[in-house]
Amino acid sequence: MAENGEEKLIAVARHIAKTLGHTDTMTDDILQIFSSFDNRFREKLTDDQPLERSLKSLHRQISRHLSAQHPIWSDSADSAAFLDSVDQLLAIIHEWNPMANDKSVSASLDKAEDLLQQAMFRLQDEFTTLMQRASESVDLTRHQNGGDNLGGYYESEEEEEEVDDDDDDDSGEIPIAHPVTDYGILIEALPAGIISDLHEIAKRMVAAGYDKECSHAYSVSRREFLEESLSRLGLQKLSMDQVQKMQWNELEDEIEKWVKAVNVALRILFPSERRLCDRVFFGFNSVSDLSFMEVSRGSTIQLLNFADAVAISSRAPERLFKVLDVYEALRDLMPEFEFMFSDQYCVLLRNEALTIWRRLGEAIRGIFMELENLIRRDPAKTPVPGGGLHPITRYVMNYIRAACRSRITLEQVFEEIIVPSASAVDYREGDDRALSSSSLAVQMAWIMELLESNLETKSKIYKDSALLAVFMMNNERYIVQKVKDSELGLLLGDDWVRKHAAKVKQYHVNYHRSSWSKVSGVLKIDNNAMSSPTGASRSLKEKLKLFNSYFEEICKTQSTWIIFDEQLKEELRISVAGALSPAYRNFIGRLQSNNDSSRHTERHIKFSVEDLEARISELFQGSSGSGGGRK
Amino acid sequence: MPVTDYQGASASFTNFGRSLLSMRRDQVHSMEAAHEATSQEIELEAFQKQVAERFNELSSVDSDQLLSVPWIRKLLDVFLCCQEQFRSILFNNTANLNKPPMDRYVTEYFDRSVKGLDVCNAIRDGIEQIKQWQKQLEIVLCALENQRCVGEGQFRRAKKALIDFAIGMLDEKESNTSVAHRNRSFGRNNTQNDHKSLGHFRSLSWSVSRNWSAARQLQAIGNNLVAPKNNEIAATNGLALAVFTMSYVLYFVMWALVAAIPCQDRGLQTHFYVTRQFVWAVPILSLHERILEESKKRDRRNACGLLKEIHEMEKCAHHMNELIDTVHFPITEEKDGEVKLRVHELGLVYDGLKNGLDPLERQVREVFHRIVRSRTEGLDSIGRGNHE
Repeated sequence: MAENGEEKLIAVARHIAKTLGHTDTMTDDILQIFSSFDNRFREKLTDDQPLERSLKSLHRQISRHLSAQHPIWSDSADSAAFLDSVDQLLAIIHEWNPMANDKSVSASLDKAEDLLQQAMFRLQDEFTTLMQRASESVDLTRHQNGGDNLGGYYESEEEEEEVDDDDDDDSGEIPIAHPVTDYGILIEALPAGIISDLHEIAKRMVAAGYDKECSHAYSVSRREFLEESLSRLGLQKLSMDQVQKMQWNELEDEIEKWVKAVNVALRILFPSERRLCDRVFFGFNSVSDLSFMEVSRGSTIQLLNFADAVAISSRAPERLFKVLDVYEALRDLMPEFEFMFSDQYCVLLRNEALTIWRRLGEAIRGIFMELENLIRRDPAKTPVPGGGLHPITRYVMNYIRAACRSRITLEQVFEEIIVPSASAVDYREGDDRALSSSSLAVQMAWIMELLESNLETKSKIYKDSALLAVFMMNNERYIVQKVKDSELGLLLGDDWVRKHAAKVKQYHVNYHRSSWSKVSGVLKIDNNAMSSPTGASRSLKEKLKLFNSYFEEICKTQSTWIIFDEQLKEELRISVAGALSPAYRNFIGRLQSNNDSSRHTERHIKFSVEDLEARISELFQGSSGSGGGRK
Repeated sequence: MPVTDYQGASASFTNFGRSLLSMRRDQVHSMEAAHEATSQEIELEAFQKQVAERFNELSSVDSDQLLSVPWIRKLLDVFLCCQEQFRSILFNNTANLNKPPMDRYVTEYFDRSVKGLDVCNAIRDGIEQIKQWQKQLEIVLCALENQRCVGEGQFRRAKKALIDFAIGMLDEKESNTSVAHRNRSFGRNNTQNDHKSLGHFRSLSWSVSRNWSAARQLQAIGNNLVAPKNNEIAATNGLALAVFTMSYVLYFVMWALVAAIPCQDRGLQTHFYVTRQFVWAVPILSLHERILEESKKRDRRNACGLLKEIHEMEKCAHHMNELIDTVHFPITEEKDGEVKLRVHELGLVYDGLKNGLDPLERQVREVFHRIVRSRTEGLDSIGRGNHE
């Protein structure tokens, strides 16, 4: 009985719905209202299968959204409702797919998938629109002084005053970014609300198997944004060939720009993109990884290509310091590369970065090799007048000293450290212990040896062996001094310094032997000749004449010689005086005490002891204008 | 090794030309009569022979395999082998490289090889571009493959992907026709960008500047590439010929890569002047001719790249597109069968690319690295030798 009653009730309800409902839609709505009163109605009111019923209603809902002219996401209630419908559709498809063999089910499923595809197309459009609109708003605020979260990645000129920044000039023409010194800035690439919207859409698209379309829409938009940001940093896209042919000063500028750009890219832009990817595709790691790779690949390659071009360029020694800049920039950014580029898609990029970094190390070693060649090649042409400091000595020593200011990096280069991150950090923090057995120390010692060998070859041009000795003294002394008060000293070690200081002394001795021993030899009193008074006085007279001429000649010659180091100059003068003066005093004394024809002989005394010493103190003044004292 | 043996051997593989030894023998030197081939001469002769052999093998390919991914990979392998051999020749002859004119020839070669590096970078970008097109086909397959019965929605999805694919290729072709017409916009300050309507494909920007031209680069590589005269060859103990040979190999390989792979401002009108007197010239010139012919065919004249797989992608996509347009719902079993056939066809092309492109990219990168290494070593050894 109850069943009969129920059936009657249902029949009545159906009748009412059909009569009142002028359209299918209205009928459905009315039936829905009835259903909500009583569970029993839900199952039995319509002719449709439950699947068909749900689909029909979803179809209505979704079609309403799809036919809307304005973006669904311009209204949050609309978008929420749409997403809800899509979720239901996905759930239905998922639930009924296993039963697809049933003909009626499969027909409905087809309709469902059709509806899903339309929804997905729309979602893709909405996704793209959201991305474009959001980054456009960021773009606008870039041109105004984007200070808040939506702002650009770098301050404009007006904001410079507020920021504690050392940078000075700005041409004001092209908006080249000023370096952001504080890399701790968290950049919000897109407004949080939009990120959340994008994520909601992405979730559904991935669930529906439309992840490729979603990822593509995402990547295209962000890639463009990223590449534009990079181009605003003022980097040119230079080919390898162009870099080889560039003038060095132009290339230097480009390197400077590159160092700033690569830091902004790796510390700000890429992490920001990575974060955005991870948030939009939260829960879908491989989609996120793929998207990030697509976004960052082009820019990364562009940055690395430049570093590569620098790494294969000329090994002219003057380039060392800028190449070191590039090397250090990459080294310091390796941890960032490791962190962001280690998934399956990006790992190739990270490996490229490593290879190029190693190549830069090779370039640096090559530069030192070229320096060696230059030293070896430097011809012994014209002697330096006055035996002074040779330009090559000055050049090499100052160069090496400057290079050793980057000792820690150079140690790394010469030890061919290839493990990044951990070691890179260690080396950045540095360690000042002398590493005199390190590869760098060996390299430096070798350069010193080459330099000395070259100088020795050059010294042979001097016919006068005393001048040769002076030349070597000057240059050797310069070398030792430059080594002592720099990092070089730590590298080469105390023993090296001692040995080379000893060399200076040896040349000092040679100098004496080559010039003054002859003179002081004259002053020796030969006792045999002194046996007879006349013999003595004649011998003394001749000796005096000889002495005078030697002395005069030497003083004339050697006063134009150069000793650049004041201290060394004094030492030499004192040692000459010390060798000569007592002997001369003694000699003069003997002369004067020799009574025979002393007045005659005395006429031949040109120099008093004071005169002698005065002349000695005029030695090594150099010719006019080229006096010593230059360090 | 007695001279007579070598003479016999050399005659057999230099039908068109004279071997180095026979050239030397023509120089009237009293010593020559008793001359034994030095190891250097053997090495140089072997180089000529092996370059010829390798290119002969490449040239024996069927026309349907020419410029396919596997063939390009073989080409790059050949390059690497030639390069390694050349490298060891340089290594064994360092002393001779410092004297003029060898120092100039070698430096010129390394200069050409830098331009080759740029081509490698452009090719890498080009491979990435192919991958982007391939992605659209992946979507088509995703939509149409393995479905119990393909529904209207999936067809629409496939159709959209095919349209995007076609637009992508068209965009590339148009940007290739004239540098001046390239209107790719950077920056969204241009409202209503054309590229938006084209589906954003062209925003895969090259890593080279907009002024860079593959055609010009090839011209630069081939610039002044003239065969050394016999007396030059003899005067340098054959080294001049070795350098010329390697330069030519580099030139041809780069040219073939540009012919096959999309890159900025492709132009194949560079000329190959080399007399057939050199053993390896025959296969190289033959390949050059065949590739050039391919580029002139009606359906390939505007191709983005002559790579076989690109052509296959285009054809498959075209067929699929046409087929989809003839599909009405509900779909007949016959139509469904046709679709499955086309999908299978597309799947084969796609798989071939998927398996081939990554290794190809790695190989191009390897070529890059080896060129760099050889150049660095070569320049270092010349530099060091320059003063002793």
